[in-house]
Amino acid sequence: MDTVVRNLRVLRRMTAAQIVQQSIYRGAWIIFMAANICVPIISLLIWRTAIANGAQLPIDDRYVTSYFVVLSFVTMATSSWLTGFLANDIRLGKLSSWMVRPASLLLTFVANNVAEKFLKLFALVPMIGVLWWIFRDSMNLPAGPDRWAVFAVSLVLGAILVFTIDILIASLAFWMDDVTALAQARVLIASVLSGAVVPLALMPDWSRGFVDNQPFRYTVSFPVEIVAGGLSGQELLVGLGIQAAYVFVFGILARLVWAVGIRAYSAVGA
Amino acid sequence: MTHAFIDLQPPVIAANDLSKSYTFHKQQAGLGGAIRSLVRRTYETRLAVDKISFTINRGEVVGLLGPNGAGKTTTLKMLSGLLYVTSGELEVLGFTPSDRKHDYLRRIALVMGQKTMLWWDVPAMESLLLHKEMYGLTTKEFESNVAELAELLEVQDLLNVQVRKVSLGERMKLELMAALVHGPEILFLDEPTIGLDVVAKARVRTFLAEVNRLRGTTILVTSHDMDDIEALCSRVMIIDHGRLQYDGSLEQLVHTARPRKLVRATYATNVDGGRLAKLEGVTAVDSADQTIKLEVDRERAGDVLEQLTRIGPLVDLDVADADIEEIMRDLFQRRSTLGDA
Repeated sequence: MDTVVRNLRVLRRMTAAQIVQQSIYRGAWIIFMAANICVPIISLLIWRTAIANGAQLPIDDRYVTSYFVVLSFVTMATSSWLTGFLANDIRLGKLSSWMVRPASLLLTFVANNVAEKFLKLFALVPMIGVLWWIFRDSMNLPAGPDRWAVFAVSLVLGAILVFTIDILIASLAFWMDDVTALAQARVLIASVLSGAVVPLALMPDWSRGFVDNQPFRYTVSFPVEIVAGGLSGQELLVGLGIQAAYVFVFGILARLVWAVGIRAYSAVGA
Repeated sequence: MTHAFIDLQPPVIAANDLSKSYTFHKQQAGLGGAIRSLVRRTYETRLAVDKISFTINRGEVVGLLGPNGAGKTTTLKMLSGLLYVTSGELEVLGFTPSDRKHDYLRRIALVMGQKTMLWWDVPAMESLLLHKEMYGLTTKEFESNVAELAELLEVQDLLNVQVRKVSLGERMKLELMAALVHGPEILFLDEPTIGLDVVAKARVRTFLAEVNRLRGTTILVTSHDMDDIEALCSRVMIIDHGRLQYDGSLEQLVHTARPRKLVRATYATNVDGGRLAKLEGVTAVDSADQTIKLEVDRERAGDVLEQLTRIGPLVDLDVADADIEEIMRDLFQRRSTLGDA
């Protein structure tokens, strides 16, 4: 218990310091978020045009619109970027300065994620506000608080899942000289299987079983689907259960790989 | 030299037959080697530290010396818990360092001259406040420690300046402050003065000596700067090829490696020092115009000095041990064994 309280206090202080540190680069956040929102907007326009021109899709234009507007927020909220940094820290021996201090090694990355998301909100929310205002009459957003509450839980689980997958891949740097190729492959696969580029509802029927149950769906698409509609109460509960199970499984896996990897750490350099 | 707080308590560091080996893959140079390594890789194991044994008592300041790649930094990393030992036993403050228990980590600190603990884009105070939480310091303890260290290091005006805007010497002072704010019992230092100018080096040395004297902090330092070692260490350990080649006082090392005194005499007029070579105990004479340089056995130094006063009108006389830097250079070049560790 003491450890948890101490780590939370450290996390609070680290997050504050990260916000101080990152607020220096305010221009970068606006550019990052403008880039972040570009893909959903372009996809939204393409799919709406396709539907307007008579394309027969299993989803209507209200779903498409809701999906991509919410997607622009969810991709930011559940994203993580620690793979490259953590792998570099392992490879170049930069982990050492954290390892000799009495706090969890990953706290700095959690703090970095939380701080960046907090700052990015300032840039992203006005942009999403404009999108919402433009498409406000063409969306299926839930009226009651229940779905939004489930959405919030799913969003947190999605963020943890992405973070855990990142640690798992970065931990391979304990043995591999470079995990960049692996990290890039993961980004490519995830961009398709998470629903960040194309709604998973548009995937072919024969792939349904796989697409609906693979872990990347629960990093982006599932939280979006909760708000955009199309999920029954039962599907929602089952989905949350699967999402929580993935968090648990990847969490255990990442912890195991990390624990074995740290024994192989060579603390390169002085 | 600092000798404070050495007592007869059990050692704070005890290493017995400590070894560490690394496995890495070898790749031949060139495109052919690169392509071959895609299919087949040759792995090699290198013994970085080879069965070294030693103990260090509370309050000692010990210098870990050796040429590049000798194994001294690997030893330091094992002691601080960064690396698992391959074989042997290691206990620091009653803990196995690689377990990296919270109670162990809060009692030690490691400063690496080439790596930073401080966040670059924010003032050092942010990093210090982080350490306050990490080490569970009360506000009173924290403020008192910060005030004491800031005064000793003369960095009061730097605490609220972005770290990336301070000079290298100032940054090292702030690194030391961050490492010591929780009052560690053992301080591991890896090249703490690397890249610093002479003034900054002197300030860091004085500070470390003060920390040892005032707080009784045990210090283990690696450095290629022999002035660091002379100024701080009452004891040195020399590691070469992963083996402990010498463990003892710096003075004894000098006596063992260079048992002769260096004498330099300057006269008001030209003198002939040739006949001094025939004196007992004199091994080398270099005489030119008004200056005579010679090496003489310690026991015979008195007699030789007396003879020097008779050669001519003496205006200056300098008697010294061999330069420690020179001794180290000779030792590392010869890869000699200096005796039982």
